[in-house]
Parts: sequence; structure tokens; C-alpha cells
Amino acid sequence: MKRWNLYTPEGVQDILFDDCRRKRILEGRIRDSFRLNGYKELETPTIEFFDVFGSDGGFINQESMYKFCDSKGRLLVLRPDLTIPVARIAATKLKDEDFPLKCFYIGNTFSFDQLGGGRQNEFTQAGCEILGVNSIEADAEVVAMAIEIIKTTGIEEFQIDIGQVEFFKGIMEESGLSEDEVEEVRELIDLKDFVGVEQVMDQHKVRAELKNLILDLPRLFGSKDILNRIDLNRVGERAAKALLNIKAIIEILEDRNLDKYVSIDLGMVQSMNYYTSIVFRGYTYGVGFPVLSGGRYDKLVSRFGRECAATGFSLGINMVMMALERQRKLEDVAEGGFLVTYEPGARKLASCLCRELIEKGLPAQMDIQLKSLDDTVQYAKRKGISRVICVKEDGSKKEIVL
Amino acid sequence: MRYITIALAKGRLAELSVEILERAGVDCSELKNSSRKLILTDEKNKIRFFLAKPSDVPVYVEYGAADIGIVGKDTLLEEGRDLYEVLNLGFAKCKMCVAGPKELEGRMDSITITRVATKYPEVARMYFRHKRKESVEIIKLSGSVELAPLVGLSDVIVDLVETGRTLKENGLVILDTIADISARMVVNRVSMKIENERITGLIEAIRKNL
Repeated sequence: MKRWNLYTPEGVQDILFDDCRRKRILEGRIRDSFRLNGYKELETPTIEFFDVFGSDGGFINQESMYKFCDSKGRLLVLRPDLTIPVARIAATKLKDEDFPLKCFYIGNTFSFDQLGGGRQNEFTQAGCEILGVNSIEADAEVVAMAIEIIKTTGIEEFQIDIGQVEFFKGIMEESGLSEDEVEEVRELIDLKDFVGVEQVMDQHKVRAELKNLILDLPRLFGSKDILNRIDLNRVGERAAKALLNIKAIIEILEDRNLDKYVSIDLGMVQSMNYYTSIVFRGYTYGVGFPVLSGGRYDKLVSRFGRECAATGFSLGINMVMMALERQRKLEDVAEGGFLVTYEPGARKLASCLCRELIEKGLPAQMDIQLKSLDDTVQYAKRKGISRVICVKEDGSKKEIVL
Repeated sequence: MRYITIALAKGRLAELSVEILERAGVDCSELKNSSRKLILTDEKNKIRFFLAKPSDVPVYVEYGAADIGIVGKDTLLEEGRDLYEVLNLGFAKCKMCVAGPKELEGRMDSITITRVATKYPEVARMYFRHKRKESVEIIKLSGSVELAPLVGLSDVIVDLVETGRTLKENGLVILDTIADISARMVVNRVSMKIENERITGLIEAIRKNL
């Protein structure tokens, strides 16, 4: 029966010492940054009812959730996401709150998705949501916050891609394709499969201008000049509105001097059922997956019985750690500090000294092995301790700097 | 400038890939004088290459260990990785097909298929699940798949068909075509964004010279 006692389940990991310290520092910085920008932290349960995420109209596939039962036989899951619980709270618990409400969270989420390249089944996410306001200012605020948070982590070279799901939906509405055909085109555009899009579009009578735009969609990413390449009068009202929305958000980001981090991708058409307007992703060197994703999701909260606009993002902390490692930006977290050893009879003095050091905020520890001074020095070196203090019987101290 | 890394599928596909890369102005001389080095470079354009087993190419690209990959559509379908598929290179053409004994010809809709032998279990599973809405038993083989229906291991096979000669010689016929296959250029989702100019430039250069 003990066959598995030496192992951890797939996709989870032990995070030891230096890595753990770095992760805590990172989380601490992120927490401070959110707080300084006026966001309030909240914590939601690790386990929730399956229905929160996965019943009819749910957004998470049932096969990607860890499921089990409570004592009454009801289906529970380990939370696969942190935005949906926040939406649940917004609809059920915040009746007296004054909206808009800015909140943030840092916590672990769980899902059975593909593994590797920084993706785990248990992963830490940090994110924020702005609830109860649908404005370009709020959208720009969330993008600005995303930029700020990535900078906080120590990643210097990164890029935020902004898309707009309404643009695609508007164009598809104009084209008159059926729902299944739209889904097919969406998948192909998402893969930037130029040829595939062309093959599908050749089977349909769509007016030439619109067809060319659809064929061009996988290519419509890059600097914001792309937005000017599209003639607003020719794409239909819905798509035109979406483009104006992105332009307005970019203008706000220009005022905040953040536009250099931002580029456009009108072919960003993943998660169309979740997001309702602007969508964005953050990329950096060294990892093959986005470190951050977000957008506006005005329909999510209403699933829990209350109309409430919402926009936000989440950052994958494990992914960021991997990027920092690949970019050789990991911090040195060696504590240095003191090791206090003593000759027989000087124990009391030594422990007083050690206490004093700790009270001053310096890392210090008592010797618990009491070997020869040579051995103690060697031990301290291996442990990355920077000074050994030996308290002699007569009360004098010998300090050895390593 | 950072290196752009290209993963090529070992074998005939790699030779053809080298041709189109050279036509696009990439220096592949080090690659052609194949030594024992695993990673080869074009210093002028800051491009690195390596050869990998075809089914590994999409994995390298998805993880970002390679920015670009050149590999068959069959491998892409089977691996189902999250990549940008930016260019159909047009060579190494064939079809992914369902094939079976002649008696089944034209009766695909009326028969119940229970066992399918294939080198492409994921492709077969997706086809039967989504296109035919059937649950079938997939038997994974590593080669000579045509043998399976002949010796009663399976009812049909899912396999690549180039000329159809092997099928014909063994009394098998194509029952349905699942997909057209050829070599594709794939790009990592993050690389495409972060090295947009260089990668788009390379794609355009290759497209023009196809």
C-alpha cells in the first residue's frame, strides 16, 4: 500500500528554501504594489462547489478540474481559477459595498491542464478585478496595473498585447456565417492558420472587402498603427465601436506614458465566451507561454444573479519565476548573518549575544553542534553564513569573517 | 540580437526544409555539412538550427525552446500543441485517411466500426469522436498499419496515404479523408509577438520563394 509514499502527484511541486524565499519576496512585492494602487486583498476558499465553475454555462471544462465530494455527496472542486470566485462574491456578498470596487488576490489554483514549460497542475496566481464599472478608464487602469505588476517582479523586457473580442464578433456578424462556421474561423485565426482561413472563406459568399479583412485577421498584430489600417466605415457598427474602444484605451495609456509596453493583436480570439470586450496578454522572453492574461468580462457576475461590470487580470507567479530564472534575473537570497558558538561555560553570554543580534534584525543562530572551531567555520561556510562569533569562557569574543 | 531557434524534423523533411530556407536567404551551410554538432548556426542572421524527431518538434516550439519549427501537419494534428501555424510549405504532401477492406467501400455510414489500428491515436480518436460521434477502440501500432485489417486486428486503419499503392496491393481502399497533409511552419505564440519583425520577415521571405 505504500507504493506512492515517496512521490508527489503529477504537476505539483515542493518549493524549497531559496526558491521559496524568492517566491515569498515576489508575492510580497506584488501585494504591496496592489495595495499602494488602491486595491483591497481578499481570500476565497480553496474548495468550492463544482457548480460555481462547471455547471451549465460554466467556463471551465469538467475534465480539467480536481473533483471530490462533501459529506452530503455534493460535488466539490479545488478552485481552477480565482476570478470566478470573485464574481460569485461580487454577486452575493457585496450588496452594501460602494462600487466601483478594486480588489486583488494571491492564491493557488488547480487544474489538470497540459504540463511543462512552467505550467503546473497547482500554480500560484496573483490578480486583480475592478467591479461595478464599465469605462475605458477602468480598462486602461487594469492594463496599467498589469504593466506595473510585471515591472514589480523584476522582468524588464515584456510586452502587453491588447485585443478586442467585439471586433471579431462584429465582423463575423457582418459576414453572415453560421455559428459553427464562425467557431471554425475563430479556431483558425487563433492558430494564425492563414491558409485554413482562406480555405473556409473561399466556400462562402462574403463581400470582398470584408473577406479580405477576415483573411488579414491573423496578421493584424503589432504596433498600434494597425488600428489605422482599418476603415471604420466598412466594418460594421459593432466592430467599429470595438476599434474605437481600443484606440481610446491606448490614448489613456499614452497619457500615462505606458504605451511603449503595449501592442495590438486583433486576431486574439481565445476565450471568446468569457470576455466581452478588451482582452490582453503579457509576454516576456524565456518562457513559451504568456505570463499574464486578462480583460473585461461583463457577463460573468450575472451568472450568479446580479448584473455587474467587471475587468481584471491574473499573473502566473510560477511562470514569472521561470522567466526570471531563464533571464538570469534571480536574486541572491543568501541571508549571511551570524553563527554564535561558545566555549564551555560561556553558553549564557553566547545566547544573550545571539538574542541581541536577532533583536537588531540581523540573522543569527546559536551553534547546536559544538564541534571544533575549524569544523564550525567550515559548516558556516557551507551554509552561506557570513560571520562566526566564538564566545570564550572569559567573556571575550572572537569574530571570524568568512 | 538574440538567436532565433528553428527546430527541423529529422529526415527527408529536413532536406526539403533546408532548400526553402536557403532560398529565403538563410545560410544553412553548417547544417548541410552535417557534423556531429547538435546545434548549428547561421551567425550572420543570428539563426540557430537543430534536428529533432518529428513528433518532438511541436513540443520544442510550444515550450519556447525553439521559436520556429518545420514539421508535417500529421505530427501537428497528432500532438495537438498550442502553436501558431503560419505557413503551408506545400511539400511532403499526402492525405490522412480512414482505409479498410474493399467490402466496406461506400458503406462507412451504415457500418459500426469498433476497432481502429493506427500510428496516430489522437487523430483517430478526434475523428471518430467529433466527425462520426462514435466510441471506438483505438489500437496503437508503430508501423505497417495496413496489416491490421488483414489479420483481423482491426476493422479499419487511420494512416497517411501518399500514392495509395500499398493500400491497393493489400486489397484496401480509402473510406474517408480526414485531412490534407503537408509540411507546415509553426511558431511559438510568445516568440511571434516578441520577435515579431524578424519572424514575420522570415515568413515573408519563405512565402515569396515557395
